[in-house]
Formats: sequence, C-alpha cells, structure tokens
Amino acid sequence: MSKDLNMKVNVLPVTTYNFLHVNDGRLEIKDVELQKIASSNKAGIPSGVTLKENVSFDEAGEIFRENKERILALKEEMVSPNCETAKRDESQSIRTGMGADVDKLFLENNISCDVYTVEKNVKVAEPIVLRQDLEDGATGMSSQVIHAKKGSEVTVIMAYSSERSASGFLGVSTRLLADEDATINLVKVQLLGDGYVHFDDIGGACLRGGKINLTTLELGGKEAFNGAYINLSEKEAALSSNLGYLSRDDHSLDMNYVADQRGKKTEASMQFKGVLMGTAKKTLRDTLDFKTGSSGSVGDEQEDALLLSENVVNRTMPIILCQEEDVEGRHGATIGQLGEDLLFYMQTRGIDEEEAKRIMIKARLESVARLIPDQEIRQLAIYYIQQIV
Amino acid sequence: MSDNKQMVADIDHSLYDFKDIENEKDFYRMEEGLTRETVLKVSEEKNDPEWMRDFRLECLKLYNEIQMPNWGPSIEGLDMDKISSYVRHKSDMKGKWEDVPEDIKNTFEKLGIPQAERESLAGVGAQYDSELVYHNVKDEVAAQGVIYTDLESALRSEYADMIKSHFMKLVPPTDHKFAALHGAVWSGGSFVYVPKNVKVEIPLQSYFRLNAAGAGQFEHTLIIVDEGADLHFIEGCSAPKYNVANLHAGCVELYVAKNARLRYSTIENWSKNMYNLNTKRALVEENGIMEWVSGSFGSHTSYLYPMTILKGNGSKMEFTGITFAGKGQNLDTGAKVVHQGERTSSVINTKSISKDGGIGTYRSSVTIQSTAKKAKASVSCDSLMLDSISRADTIPGMDIRTSDADVGHEAKIGRISDEAIFYLMSRGISEEDAKAMIVSGFANPVSKELPLEYAVEMNNLIKLEMSGNG
Amino acid sequence: MSEQSLLQVKDLSVSIDNELPILNNINLDIKPGETHVLMGPNGAGKSTLGFSLMGNPHYCVTGGQIIFDGQDITDISADKRAKAGMFLSFQNPYEVPGISMGSFIRNAYHAQTGAPVKLLQFQKSLKAAMELLSMDESYADRDLNVGFSGGEKKKAEILQLLMMNPKFAILDETDSGLDVDAVRTVSKGIEEYQKKKDGALLIITHSTKILESLHVDYTHVLVKGKIVHTGDGTLVDEINANGFERFIKED
Repeated sequence: MSKDLNMKVNVLPVTTYNFLHVNDGRLEIKDVELQKIASSNKAGIPSGVTLKENVSFDEAGEIFRENKERILALKEEMVSPNCETAKRDESQSIRTGMGADVDKLFLENNISCDVYTVEKNVKVAEPIVLRQDLEDGATGMSSQVIHAKKGSEVTVIMAYSSERSASGFLGVSTRLLADEDATINLVKVQLLGDGYVHFDDIGGACLRGGKINLTTLELGGKEAFNGAYINLSEKEAALSSNLGYLSRDDHSLDMNYVADQRGKKTEASMQFKGVLMGTAKKTLRDTLDFKTGSSGSVGDEQEDALLLSENVVNRTMPIILCQEEDVEGRHGATIGQLGEDLLFYMQTRGIDEEEAKRIMIKARLESVARLIPDQEIRQLAIYYIQQIV
Repeated sequence: MSDNKQMVADIDHSLYDFKDIENEKDFYRMEEGLTRETVLKVSEEKNDPEWMRDFRLECLKLYNEIQMPNWGPSIEGLDMDKISSYVRHKSDMKGKWEDVPEDIKNTFEKLGIPQAERESLAGVGAQYDSELVYHNVKDEVAAQGVIYTDLESALRSEYADMIKSHFMKLVPPTDHKFAALHGAVWSGGSFVYVPKNVKVEIPLQSYFRLNAAGAGQFEHTLIIVDEGADLHFIEGCSAPKYNVANLHAGCVELYVAKNARLRYSTIENWSKNMYNLNTKRALVEENGIMEWVSGSFGSHTSYLYPMTILKGNGSKMEFTGITFAGKGQNLDTGAKVVHQGERTSSVINTKSISKDGGIGTYRSSVTIQSTAKKAKASVSCDSLMLDSISRADTIPGMDIRTSDADVGHEAKIGRISDEAIFYLMSRGISEEDAKAMIVSGFANPVSKELPLEYAVEMNNLIKLEMSGNG
Repeated sequence: MSEQSLLQVKDLSVSIDNELPILNNINLDIKPGETHVLMGPNGAGKSTLGFSLMGNPHYCVTGGQIIFDGQDITDISADKRAKAGMFLSFQNPYEVPGISMGSFIRNAYHAQTGAPVKLLQFQKSLKAAMELLSMDESYADRDLNVGFSGGEKKKAEILQLLMMNPKFAILDETDSGLDVDAVRTVSKGIEEYQKKKDGALLIITHSTKILESLHVDYTHVLVKGKIVHTGDGTLVDEINANGFERFIKED
C-alpha cells in the first residue's frame, strides 16, 4: 500500500522567531511503500543478549512505560520555559528527537520492532553489527529497542548503504534504555545513495549511572533527518554524542538533539562536525535542558561547520535551558570557511587550495569515522568519504 | 570615588515607585479598548495630516488580522479592552522647565531628569503618558543644525516629507501584531535629525514616564543621523507599579547614513505590571556604525530584540545588553542582526541574571545573507543563575548563507561559586554584599558602556534587586 | 606584649560533608604580635585549618571552639570574623571580574571600618604599600586577580593584608609557586605587617623559604589532622634540614 507522508519532525523544544524557519522540520514524500526492512547480522547474537523479533512497535515501548516515573522524575514543580513544545510528544512511550509523528508512522503501518535485551552485568565484547545494504528503489522502515540491564554494556553498529546513484526511502527508529550503571554504545553510519530520503530517530533514557554514547555519520542521502532525545534521568547519567556530517549538491540535512538533564551530576557532551558544499541546506538544533534537580550537572555543545561553497544554507539553533543554579552549561560554535592562515600555511608546504580543502574535509569526518569500533564498517565509511572528496 | 559610592550608597527603594496623585480633571483620558472610533479620536487629537490618519486605520486593520506570536512569553494577562491608548495632560508641551505643570515636574524632579540635563546633556525630551511635556535643546547644539523635537511638531514642519518617507518604513506595521497596534495609536516620541558631518559631543536624552494606570504608551522615536555625523541618544523609562496591566508598544527607527555613528543607550525600568512589547530597528549604510547599550530591569513581561540591518558595505554594529529578571518577571530579550553588505561586522555581548523565580531568556538571531561576503559575526551570551527557582534560557539562532563569513558563538550558564563568596566574606564583606559585588562585576562590561550617572543608576538597580526589594 | 590571648583554638575538630574528620582536637593559643608557623606534609590538613579559622562554610566544625579577641567566633560568618580583625591570605585567590583591585580594597576597608574612606589618604597609603611590594600602580585599576600571574596574586593578597591591617592574619602557602625575588618581596610585606603594625600571624607553609627573614615565636607540626609537636622558631631550621620524617614516625 503506497502512501504520501507529510510529517512535522524535529520540533524545537521551545519555539522561536518564525522567520528563522527552525521551529521544526517537514518530512514530505509522495507515493511510498511502507514495509519492514530487515537488516543482516552476519555475526549473530552474542551470548548474554536476547533478541525478540517482530514485536509490535507499541508493545516494544512497554519497557519505557514501566520506567516512566523514573525516566521523567522531577525533584519538584518546574517553571516552564517560554513556549515549550513538550506536550506534542506526550503520547510517545519515550520521547525521541524527531517526535510523535514518527511513532505514529510506525503504529499506523504496523511496522514491527526488534527488541535487544542485554542481561545484567554482561559486558558484550563484540559489537552487534546490523547492515542494511539497499537496492535502488527500496523503501521501508525498521525499528529497534535496545535495553541494557543493570551493569551491562553493549555496542550496536547500524550501517545503511546503497549504490551512489540509488534512490529510495529508509526510516529508522531506535529506542534505548540504559539501566543502572549500564552503557549503550550506538553507532549509526548512513551512506545511502544520492536519491534517498532517510530518517533516523533516536529516543533514550539513562537511569542511575547509565550511559549512552552515540557516534553518528550522516554522509549520504538527498534528504536526511536525524533526531535524538536523551533523558539523563538519574544521578550520574551521561550522554556523549559525536556526529559528523557531509551535505553536498542539493542535499538537505535536518537535525534535532536534546539532552534532558534531570538527575544530579549528569553529564552531556554533544559535538557536531560537518561540511557543507554545493547548494546544501543544513539545520542543526541542539539543546541542553537543565531541569530542576539536576544540580552538579554539566553540559557542553560544540559545533564546527565548514562551509565550502558560496550557496550553502547553514542554520544553527543552539539552546541552553536552565532551571537549576548549580550547573555548568556551555555552547560554542565556529562556522565559516577554511582560515586564511591555515590555507597559507598549507600552500607554503606545496598544497594547493583544493587539496587543502580535501584534507580538511577528510580530517573532520574521519575523526568521527575513527570512533567506529568495527573495522569493516569503519573502512566502508572512510572509503565513502574518500570517494566523495 | 563614584564606584565606591555605588556600592555603599543607601538606596531609596521608592525611587521609581512613587505615584503622583493625578488630578483627574487635569488629564484627558481616552476610553479603554481599541476600535475604529478610538483610532480616529487619537488621530483627531493629534491633528494628523490625512495620510497619517489613513495609515492609522490601515494599521488597525492589520492589527485585527495578525495573530499573536507563537513563541516567547505569555501575554495572556494583557487585555487590550482594558488599556487606554491615549492619556495626556491638558496643558501643552513646554520648552522651559519652569512652565511644565507642577505635578509632572515633581515626578521628573524625583527622577533627577532636569538635573541630568543641566549637568551633561545636549538636550532633553520628557514624555508623560502619551504626550511629550517638555523638550529642550541646548543652543549650541541647535546652532549646529541638530533637530530634536517631538514627532507631531516635526510632522508639520519643513521635515514633514523626511518623516513621511521614513516613518514605519523600517518597522512596517505588517512586522508583527504590536507594530500594527503601534501604527494605529502611536503618540509622542521624538524626532532627531543630525545634519551631515555634525558631531554632537554630548548625549541627547528622552525620558519616558507612564504614570496612568491601565494605560498604553506608544511613543515613536525616529532618528536620522546623516552622512559622517555622530550622535549618542539615551532613553530612560520608568513607571509606578499598579495592579492592572500597562502596555508599552513603542517603536524606534534609526537611520545611520554613510560614515555616521549612532549610539543608542537604554535603561528600562518599567514597573512590574508592564507588558513591554517594544520594537527597535536600525538601518546602517556604508561604513556606518550602530552601537546599542541596553539594560532591562523592569517590566512584567518583555519582548525586546533591537534589530540592526547592516546594509552598507563595511557597516558595523555592536550590541551590549544586560537583563535582570527578578520575581514575577518574564524578560525575553536579545538582539537581531542582518548582514547584507560586504565586510559587515557585528558583535553581540549579553549578560543575563535570574533571581527569585524570574525568567530570563536570551533570544537572538544572526542572519548572514549571501551578499555579505567577508562578514564577521560574534555572539557571546552569559547567564547567571542566583537560585534554583528561577530560569535562564538561551535561544540564539543563526542563518548563514555564504561560506565567505566568519561566525563565532559562545554561550555559558552558571552560578556564583561558593569560593568566590567566601573569599569576599573573608575580607569583611557580608554575604549579601559579596553577591551584589559579584553580580555588579558580572554586569560591568555593560555598565562601563554607560555614561556615569546611568552606570550609577544601573548599579543601584542591581543592588536593589539583589537585596530582594526590587 | 599582652598576656591576654588573641586567638584560642580549643579541641577543634573539622570534617567535610559529615565524613571522616580532617582535623582532630586542634589546640592553639596565639597572643598579640606573635608569629606562629604551621608546618606539615602535604594533605596534613593545614589549609583546612586556615579555612576553618576563617569560617569557610564548606568545612564543618564538629567539635571544639574558636575564641578570637575574647569572643566565641566558632559559628559566625567569615565577614564578621574579618570585621573582628582576622585575615586569611588565600593560596588560590579568587578572580573577581568587573571589580578593580583599588575599588575592591576600598570597599573591603569600608566594610570593615564602617567609616567613610578618606580618598586622598587612602590612595596615598595604597600607593606606598604597592611600592613596598614592587607592584606597578596600574594594577590598582585592573580587575582583582583577573589575569594576574601566581606571584601577582600573592602580592595582591599581601597588599590587602597591609591595607586592612588586621589584628591577626593567616597566610596560607603564600610562598608556593613564587620565584626567589617574589618570595623576597612578599616577605618584605609580611615583615612590615609583623614589625610596624605589631600584627599576629599564623603562617601555613610546607617549605621554609618565606621564613628566612621573619622572626618566628612558635612552630607547630601538623600530621594527619593532629598537631603532633610544638616548638620554638628553631624547629623550622630542623625541619628544613631533616624534613617531617621524625614527626610522622612519632605519629
């Protein structure tokens, strides 16, 4: 059954001036078949991890509903920031970066979810690698829930790829729960063809001492959406996110990252490194939200955007919301082209401008690619970067 | 000496909050609410030229069509049906201080306005409710050809065409609902024209006082600084506190010509029942310089983001602002800048303090259009949280459409460290004073941009807020 | 010299966040004009004692008493202790952006005396004190401690000591991180306070550089939160030669 999609996604946690066009993103696509796309997993499921396939999207969210009180715990009543948009996503079992419209899409189309559960205190040494190597014209969606129980640790790598010239549609929803002192490392590598529309939606929660580490490369696709909303619900919960992106030709990339800091002494670090070329359009929303009770917490957002063409559109919306005295929040952004000094330095070493640009693009993206803990996927990503530049 | 005085001086808590017992019969007050009839009545009162009357009616139409903003603080407490858009004293504007009616004179005397004029100003305008009550320019400044007058007189002078071609051209009534409202019922405000190459050595000042309860003030300030000229304009605002909502929807339009410089300083201390929905905008031509210094202390709710359009090549803007949000206040402030010309540059530096449940939001936008080659923009915003029942939010946006730009952005949020307080206390300074001192230090980059007496006033306001009596 | 005690510390015990005590049953008796030296290995609790005497709320007094100038100050805040005539020179002085050093000292001076500051006279004595400490005059207009080097920060602390002229001063590691010249300059300032102003001192140090030109009445050795030995000024030289070995063993 083919459908037309028109979704409001990546809604900013608080709205601002309409003329900036950053309050939300719009995912529109006509006449698309929505079915589950399976991923291949060569190595199988390691011991200590159980996989339940084809669980309904709603039922898979049960684990978050069970823990809702802990995930959304607040020390006391809060004063809301001006025009917050939280209400919109209240129906979600766990709030995600892209928001309720994504859940609705999965529910309405009965796209099932694969649930990975890591047993208590199990530290899974080898990463679980999920590959989706798609044909031209493939359309569909997939969804995962990863639950790391108390004291466990797991790494999941998801890579989506196709021929460079391929078109299609791929939507992914990944929901995470890091229980007490558990760690989830989630790596997403998007190397889809130049005609692909892609979305990647992440929602997660860390209970006491729980950690979520995200490593993301958004390199392909004509139109890409990426959102993550991570609740740092209890004491010493932590989020570390490293995202590298490349947007070129007439591509567009729309992102929304939120660290919702509720527990004491939580830590959030979100780093964005990217390159814009051609007539590419990019929107980045990144929010640190220090809620009441988050005393002793720290948060840091950094953006480094390299603009390499006259006609790019670079929108950045870095937000810090704060209702706690004893916190430290920081944001920094540097946006622009290659520094003249650096260029000159390189030229004195015999490197021309074009080559210098290539070196700098590679340096930015490969610094994120090197964080991929699987050699094959890492090579795939680095090869892709080299092909482009 | 003076900064010593700032810290130890006792503060008269009633400085801004005294009310004048208004002798009803001396005041003309428009009935509350906003209809075609009220707009026509304002127009009649003002003896508008025809084009202005038509413009007002057009604005009223727009006002009724445009939606409330879908972002920013709630303005639900503002009921336009309960706001009188026009209140004036029945006497005319005076050019001599002695001639100003006694009750109004007392108010301004208490605020130290004529004293400030004698000491350090090139000219003063004072608005009381909807009308200017006093306007005066020093002879030597007038002799340079500087025009500083109320906008109504200017509309009937040789500058009528100049006003017509500039009035609400920079802030069109279509901009937002309250710009339309302003266009419909504007009254009072100043017109300043500084001729080519004239440098006004000492500042001009306008002081706005909204004294009537349940009233709106809609003054319009139009300043044109011609090529190579230089001006510092200071604006002060205050009002006593009432239990009903008051509204300020003023509009400031500033034109900075080639090689000219304008500095526009504001200390806003409206009472805490005020909805301050003010619009300020500047257009800067080639190599012109626009400098904003802005202190926001008062108001119940504020929407205030002075905007600068850097149109000419090489034009510059600098914005220095401080906002202190205390109990019951929701102050949403910041700045907007649009880079159009080549080699344009902007620097935004703000400090925000939240205390006693106050909500302080820094909101901004930096837009770099594709024509703005080699543009530079830098934003730095610091917030200080003084307790955990307050809020400090930072919502800056950037839209960059050329690679040939250099944009830096920094935001920090934090609190006063215990170590800092203990260090100062170990030198014999009480905890309260230690906090006030650290906050004053935090605010110093802004206060040092102000003329001395305003810096003193600002420090007093900080001290007043810190003592919990603000 | 008066027989009356200026500072009496009686069985003082201190902990942080109600955890294990850092100081145990400390006793001290300092008379006006006396110079006491507190030495001990790293982590013995020397700085904790300085902070506790000055009333840093981070440190919790779990037992004992501090009597200053006849008044029980155990529970009063730091500013009141300063007003009573106590001073603490910080090991890591805090940076105060936006407040010039000159203006800060004037304010602190005023806060302590309550009397109006006579500006000319104040500036004269500030200038003299800065000269003594070889501080460039321009420092008076710089924001307090902001961007000061380690040595400049220490000099700024001693400058405040001279300007406030307290009855009793605690100097916490005032010599640490200083080069030879800076130590000499700082010592000169301390000598001035000691001799000309007849001030009492508790000098906390783990080295002895700063003590060379100063007269010392008593030396206390602090090991693991306890004063394990008290002697006269010559003890400094012994420690200088042999270190703390002997006292750690004693403990």
